[in-house]
Amino acid sequence: MVKGRIVAATLAVAICLTACQTPNDIAMRIGVAPEGAVKLRALETRRYDTTDQTAILSAATQTLQDLGFTLTESSSEVGVLVASKQRDAEEAGEVAGQVALTIAMALLGSYHNPDWAKDQTIVVTLVTTPIANSKQVDVRVSFDRIIQTKNGLSRAELIQDPEIYREFFTKLSGGVFLEGHEI
Amino acid sequence: MKRLTTIVAAAAMALSLSACQRPDQVAPDVLSAKPAVELRAMQTRAYDTTDRNKTLRAIVATLQDMGYTLDKVEPLAGTVSATKLSTLRLTATVYPRGTSQMTVRANAMVKIEARNTQVDDPQFYQKLFFEPLSKAMFLQALQVEDSGGGQSVAPNKAVSGSIPASEPVSKPTPAQGN
Repeated sequence: MVKGRIVAATLAVAICLTACQTPNDIAMRIGVAPEGAVKLRALETRRYDTTDQTAILSAATQTLQDLGFTLTESSSEVGVLVASKQRDAEEAGEVAGQVALTIAMALLGSYHNPDWAKDQTIVVTLVTTPIANSKQVDVRVSFDRIIQTKNGLSRAELIQDPEIYREFFTKLSGGVFLEGHEI
Repeated sequence: MKRLTTIVAAAAMALSLSACQRPDQVAPDVLSAKPAVELRAMQTRAYDTTDRNKTLRAIVATLQDMGYTLDKVEPLAGTVSATKLSTLRLTATVYPRGTSQMTVRANAMVKIEARNTQVDDPQFYQKLFFEPLSKAMFLQALQVEDSGGGQSVAPNKAVSGSIPASEPVSKPTPAQGN
């Protein structure tokens, strides 16, 4: 019984602490660098032996267009390209799970509004940085996705799958006829 | 049984107390109630460089490193806007200060349920923007000597030492307004 009370008290405190964050708290929580930032940077960056940033940027534009992205922002003076594409995010398993949960809740006399991922917007940010005192350029690309659910909620996450980055750089390297070095 | 009821009642009360008040309609942006001078002080830093493009590139690199997605980059106006996880939006502006410095001003908004609220925590601007930015600026200065060095190692070393050219602008003059 005492144990139960301790558990309940701990739970209550935990709930109190997590709820009702001020916008400043949210900014402090979201604003921190992603976990494993160093590893992520290595994953997202390749170094090319060229001084021609424009060539890299136009090859990157072509590569992104090949992959079905639409450019939303480009600024060659600072070596920036941003592109996005929308994709269906519905997965049979998730939908079935939600439907099953709704039926189970209905049998228990409660209502559950089924919700599942419907669309996703993939946003890619590509930045080229010339390396001082060398004839090389760093290309860093990051993929994010924003998932919209059936009920209109949305959540965003950073894509950390190494395969996606590897595939992108392979395509880009083919476009510039250069090999990208991992750093 | 009675004890169990007490526990349940306590838990229910804790839940109701911690629930957030939801805005019942789409409200305009909520701006900080702090004085303008205080806000400007926390949002502004000066860097000892005259290279606007380099400063912009450092901002872009820092934001990408921190996991932001760039929304808009305008080199002529010296502005960069970026969003992180659809919730945190940050706009940074670069403009010259005198003849030997560049000023960087950042402004962040948090979007909760279609309502934007201005971030006015000095810690946020210092720790989560200007400190990494100073490291990026310092790193680029370092590359003059260390061209082939690993990017990921150098900035960490730089933290312990004094970070150059990141003096907070504590008393902004009216001349340096937006």
